[in-house]
Amino acid sequence: FPTGRKWSFLPLNGRPRYMVCNCDEAEPGTFKDHLLLEETPHQIIEGILIGAYAIGCDHAYIYIRGEFKRGYQIMSDAVAQARAAGFIGENVCGSGKKLEFTIHRGAGAYICGEETGLLNSLEGKRGEPRLKPPFPAVKGLYGEPTVVNNVETLAYLPYIMRNGVEWFAKAGPERSPGFKVVSISGHVVKPGNYEVAMGTTIRQLIYDIAGGLRPGRKFMGVQPGGGSSACLFEEHLDVPYDFDSVTKAGSMLGSGAMVVFDDTTNFVKATHTLIRFYAHESCGQCTPCREGGHWIQRSLERLLDGRGLDSDIDVIKSAAHQLTGLNLCALGDSIEPFLASVITRYEDQFRAYVKRGNPENVAV
Amino acid sequence: MSATAAPPDLVTVTIDGIEVRVPKNMLLVDVAKSIHREIPVYCYHEKLGPAGLCRICLVEIEGMPKLQIACNTPVADGMKVHTTNAKVDEGRRAILEFFLLNHPLDCPICDKGGECDLQDYATAYGQGASRMVEPKMPKPKAVDLGPTIVLDEERCIVCQRCVRFDDVITREKSLRTDDRGAHTIIATASGKPYVSDFTGNVTELCPVGALTSKTYRFRSRPWDNHRTTTTCTQCAVGCQMHVDERGNTILRTMSVVEDDAISDTWLCDRGRYNIGFVNDERRLTSPLLKQDGTWMQIAWDDAIALWADALKKAGASGAGVLGGGRLLNEEAYLAAKLFGALGIENVDHRVGRQHVVHHAGYASHVDLENADTIVTFGRPPSQLAPVLDLRIRKAVSRRNARLISVGDHWANSFVPETHLASADELAAALGANPGRIAVIWDGVGADPTALPGGHTAAFSYVLPEEPNGRGADAVGLRPGPGGLATRAMLEAARDGKLGVLTILGADPVLRFPDRALVEDALRKTPFVVVTDLFLTETAEFANLILPVCSAFEKSGTTTDLAGDVLPVVGAVRPPDGVLADGDALVMLAQKLDIALPAPDALEADVRKLIEAPPPAADAAPQQTGAGAASGDGGLRVIAESAIFTGGGTLAFDPRIADLRVAPRARLHPETAAALHVADGDSVTVTAPNGAALRELAAVLDPRVPVGAVALVDGLPEAPLNALGDTPSVRVEKALVTA
Repeated sequence: FPTGRKWSFLPLNGRPRYMVCNCDEAEPGTFKDHLLLEETPHQIIEGILIGAYAIGCDHAYIYIRGEFKRGYQIMSDAVAQARAAGFIGENVCGSGKKLEFTIHRGAGAYICGEETGLLNSLEGKRGEPRLKPPFPAVKGLYGEPTVVNNVETLAYLPYIMRNGVEWFAKAGPERSPGFKVVSISGHVVKPGNYEVAMGTTIRQLIYDIAGGLRPGRKFMGVQPGGGSSACLFEEHLDVPYDFDSVTKAGSMLGSGAMVVFDDTTNFVKATHTLIRFYAHESCGQCTPCREGGHWIQRSLERLLDGRGLDSDIDVIKSAAHQLTGLNLCALGDSIEPFLASVITRYEDQFRAYVKRGNPENVAV
Repeated sequence: MSATAAPPDLVTVTIDGIEVRVPKNMLLVDVAKSIHREIPVYCYHEKLGPAGLCRICLVEIEGMPKLQIACNTPVADGMKVHTTNAKVDEGRRAILEFFLLNHPLDCPICDKGGECDLQDYATAYGQGASRMVEPKMPKPKAVDLGPTIVLDEERCIVCQRCVRFDDVITREKSLRTDDRGAHTIIATASGKPYVSDFTGNVTELCPVGALTSKTYRFRSRPWDNHRTTTTCTQCAVGCQMHVDERGNTILRTMSVVEDDAISDTWLCDRGRYNIGFVNDERRLTSPLLKQDGTWMQIAWDDAIALWADALKKAGASGAGVLGGGRLLNEEAYLAAKLFGALGIENVDHRVGRQHVVHHAGYASHVDLENADTIVTFGRPPSQLAPVLDLRIRKAVSRRNARLISVGDHWANSFVPETHLASADELAAALGANPGRIAVIWDGVGADPTALPGGHTAAFSYVLPEEPNGRGADAVGLRPGPGGLATRAMLEAARDGKLGVLTILGADPVLRFPDRALVEDALRKTPFVVVTDLFLTETAEFANLILPVCSAFEKSGTTTDLAGDVLPVVGAVRPPDGVLADGDALVMLAQKLDIALPAPDALEADVRKLIEAPPPAADAAPQQTGAGAASGDGGLRVIAESAIFTGGGTLAFDPRIADLRVAPRARLHPETAAALHVADGDSVTVTAPNGAALRELAAVLDPRVPVGAVALVDGLPEAPLNALGDTPSVRVEKALVTA
């Protein structure tokens, strides 16, 4: 969602307004904010300062995932340094503007990365997404207009301000311009965070940048946008890595994290791991996500246990499909994409469990 | 809405082909309801607002790719909505399949069976069988949530209506969800029992059988119950209430969903649960005459004859009549007429601490919500009129009204409150622009309602101590010209000046501020007649007891604190041998050859009197203040009230014994420290007259003024009035003996 437009939604009602930096990075396969937090804390603070100045807020929050203990310490030090240097406080850089800064550590819930779940958590409530509308821009933290931005977005701001919008927009395709930090993990030789221009192809990312697959292994699929994105396959390798192209290919850019699978992958187990994660992280507020995820998880566990039924694959597919699009937040809708893509493509792997029980325990 | 407000912006929406014009931003779910298009809901509730959790209220809106929830969608001009079609039905089927995956389907033994939204919608939209192969997830079936409520976690669909009720309506915020995902359950935030004065409402809000009342659990099926709608007579709020009866036993009471005007569709737990006394075996079922210190059953005719004889013998000036605040309007009116015809002027319905029960002007219950500043004087509405207190919470939490409490008592309404130790600070606290002011007073002491600073109260309330105090006052159960008010009457009786005292459904021994005076008066009076359901503290002193109906066993009207005349409808037959007070009065009138008004005239008179009551009776305070400020270093007593004080009908309802207030002494921490008393210590309170209350639990509370002790009034096991009239008391830590 374009950041500038997000900021423009704040009502001019004279109420206090808040800026919140979302550093509750917990999407499976995603670890870019983690790196930015530990390596470039001042860049993030600068981004928050720019954002706070732009929207006219005098209190900013940074919500750091509880597990990022080192990052939290680094950011705390950085904030103290910035305060000592006059960048935070009553009179920021002598501008007469005030900016308070609060660092808050999460307590370990994926759903607190959802912006309204994060706001509830920040207020000391249960990390449960709020019903929208109203959106945070109208009624956010403590009921006041609030902007929630991701770490990466804010970290880019200083460079965009320094080098100009043209510089940023020149990189990548016209409708989806700019740079992007991509976390690449899974079955590649050189997993890690890579900053690329939008529009680099998936093939380039995997083979040129991340060192390709391990010797002798065959490419089976890639999640282009974290755990919530549908798997793309061989025929998609030349898709440019940008919002529109990946969406057109049937997946999404999501958190900008690629998980690569080679032919050693047991997709039934991979699916189960992911579904178990979503079922476990469901906040339990809304029905489809709360009940559906758990149902699919248990069905997959039975399948893995060698007690699968012929009907299971259709029921699992249908359950995942029918829970999609009915949820209060995006978590529930994250259950289907990967499952549906691999259960269709690699149905044989799932069928094998039904036919032979647990294939790893049974001689073929 | 006032007449001058601009008409709201109207928009045109089409629902299932029906075009309607409705105010902009009205919720789709409400619009559909207004044209009788059904949209199923679980988590949405009119009074709680949308939550977007259950996802059953799916509808299709043309132009939107996904199904939308009707509960959080404001209508917009030109919107075209389908509440039923293949896509919508499929969405609802999916939601119901999810709901029923782990639902135990124990409908045959579920209290909600037959009135369950999950049953109804599963029948309407469900698929009939589950596709889940796994066994259902077992969860605890009977979690003891608190003294009143049991939770069946398997049945719970986590709609969080209960959680939101306790958040947005009571503001007590004691419920929440625990755990996550499929393991999400309802729990108390503190981990301690769910204690509130409004818990029963969650059983009604619960759309399934997850939350049940201990008093109704496994007792009946809804289709076997017979329903009567009446007015709750536990206090003077006047909540409308359904009474469900089977086999002449009251099984439960329910709120009336249409009753926006008075109860706002809620009931307090006292009103809801205090029903067991009706069938209690201690009910009196025959007139009792005391002879040589023992009770003898006698016939009604004989009882009435004895009463009539006593009245004739004593003459008008030798007779007194007390009580009547628990009678129906008609009964109180008959009593006033009858004793008036006998020339008896010593009549007073006020038997407690209160001496004023009504003000000029009748502010309505809803008016309170619209006040900008609410000022409470004396014992708070949260204890004297609980459901009215919810309007205060609404005004403060939703409209940012200010709540100010003045004097010894805090309002304790679970919303921000400004407390003033004395009315002298009120002018400053009100400021220049307090907006519309509502004043609430408990009718004790000097009338505080003339506000300082030139302000006047837009809405004024007096909280009657007795359910029909206002009606009894209006129809004339007050001292006649030259007649004695309660205290003077009791003093006259004590001095042997009265020959007969009639006490109509009242318990002055427990309620009047000076117990010794009442007891002396009753002992010295040659003939005391008491009408009651039980052998109460007062009835023990009677010569003749007449067993009478509860308000569930007779019909008529009652008057609420706002002056509304409300119907009381009998739901069950009284036990054999029991008559209504009104019947007894009619029998007495016949015996004495006094003509009483015909029913039609009576009804018209009652309404006329209640609409325009005669000026309030001479307001002599019930308390003399004689024992106050003795300067002996003792503590001042503050008489608290609590809705579960344990006297009257509550003392005879063992099923809810847990709800009674335990004897306690609230002290400011400084006061306690000076006395070397710690929180929870057992203390003894001793009055100058030598009377003592023992084994009171000390509760340290900074809201109690320094140098005072707050004691609960009306507790049978620790009667505050035994200490005498406004005494100065000593509080000591009880000695521990081996």
